[in-house]
Amino acid sequence: MSTTSTAISRELIYQVAYETNKRAAIVVPQDGLAAFGEAWERESKPLAHFILGQILENAKLAVADARPMCGDTGLPRYYVKLGNEARIDGGVVALERALRQAVADITQDIQLRSNRVHPLTRRNPGNNTGVFAPNIDYSFEPGGDWIDIIAVHKGGLFGTDYRMLFPADGTDGIKRFLLDNMAEFARRGLSCPPVVVGVGLGGTKDQAVTLSKEAACLRLIGDRHPDSEVAALEEELRHLANQTGFGVMGVGGDTTALDVHVEIAYTHTGGLPIAISQFCTAYRRSVARVFPSGEVEFREDPQWFTPYYRREGIE
Amino acid sequence: MSQGQNREWELTCPLVSSDIEKLAAGDLVYLSGPVYTARDGVYQHMLIDGNAPPIDLQELTNVSLQSSPAGVEVSPGEFEVASLQATAGFRYAQYMPQLLEEFGVKAVVGKAGMSEQVYQEVFRKHGAVCLTTMGYGLGAIYGRAIKKVLGVYWVEELGISEALWTFEVDRLGPLLVEGDIHGNSFFAQVNDDINRQLGALYEGLKPPVYGRIGEEQKPETELF
Repeated sequence: MSTTSTAISRELIYQVAYETNKRAAIVVPQDGLAAFGEAWERESKPLAHFILGQILENAKLAVADARPMCGDTGLPRYYVKLGNEARIDGGVVALERALRQAVADITQDIQLRSNRVHPLTRRNPGNNTGVFAPNIDYSFEPGGDWIDIIAVHKGGLFGTDYRMLFPADGTDGIKRFLLDNMAEFARRGLSCPPVVVGVGLGGTKDQAVTLSKEAACLRLIGDRHPDSEVAALEEELRHLANQTGFGVMGVGGDTTALDVHVEIAYTHTGGLPIAISQFCTAYRRSVARVFPSGEVEFREDPQWFTPYYRREGIE
Repeated sequence: MSQGQNREWELTCPLVSSDIEKLAAGDLVYLSGPVYTARDGVYQHMLIDGNAPPIDLQELTNVSLQSSPAGVEVSPGEFEVASLQATAGFRYAQYMPQLLEEFGVKAVVGKAGMSEQVYQEVFRKHGAVCLTTMGYGLGAIYGRAIKKVLGVYWVEELGISEALWTFEVDRLGPLLVEGDIHGNSFFAQVNDDINRQLGALYEGLKPPVYGRIGEEQKPETELF
């Protein structure tokens, strides 16, 4: 890997930010489509079966008409993974500018809802940008000369919670918190189930919340954590979430959670912080890798949680 | 509730009382005709601050959506909507007496409905129903049903998302009858079933060693 790699142009970054943002709003990712299809096939409750069928039909119409899959287009945001050798024409400042411009432009062009407002005055700039908006989060990867741009449109009102548990609470506390979260937010379908549940376990309070959101939005349905104990907990929690019986839209059904993803971070010896985020039925994500050659590769798997990102040692 | 035998109705707006009376909690509805949006911004501006609407809403229709469409101004004064979804309606229960009384609304279309008590005390009195959008992600299906944006008002005052939009819709649906004119709530019945199995899932799980102020210990409770 050359340390003098060609810089990736800011125009290309803008184009890819624009395209991923557009696809995220309109196209249900393949893992989501497969999971909705399986849920529809095995659903035993007729009304839930009917609604899951409508969700599949909606996914087709959204692509056919190039219209957002949901009328609440959420909060557009970006996750950016920078290869350690990647260089950007204009630097990271140019990249951030391109991402913000792409959000403003796409809001007008494919008719995203202008959701972002000032929290007190409620002033709406009309383009989904503003103070700290859109969110842009970063991670890094050794060796790569590329940039991954991941657009996510995440709903914003229901499904997220944080709690400081303690080591004595253990797995019982984790299960209880999940059940509480489902009872609070899947009831009447407020969090728009079936959802992908992300659990952030450990770390600091802010890390737990951040990891819960990344776990919900940036892993494929069916993916399991490499730590076998965490993977076993994921299976157990998925089963538990579905045993609640809220189902699609909370009308009563077999599938409330399409999956549960748990991410762990080393934490204070006296604590067990936990956070949950739910990624709603409008499952919106698009991923692309930009190379210095100008080549762009769209793919399904965000590959956000790499072994390096989850590293345990010094290196 | 006998799921799977949900009756379906094709109704024209403004709704006539004979149509509203036949709707029962759990029925599916498709609406055609004029409708208008009203949520946080419009409720505050029109109901609390007392600003008269720029058009005669009651003359237009008696169906109101708790919605802010994914729509933009494509050229000055010309608006288009790509996708539509309603927002959680429980937080607007306080506005219902005035909306139904002063503006003659007979069907409120929101997300997930309100408490059965609101249907009993307010909707029943006015012979009105509460409908909910379905799936909560059928934006493209609902967006397709919008045939025309008739007008957009109070954009300056409220911003484009909270503005008052009027639409002509064709088969806007499926919508679910959440609250009927007898005061029955579909979700209240579903929740009774779910609550019966929910308690069992907590059995054997020890309570947290440190509680939280105001902690609700009964997961069967509706939180609004």
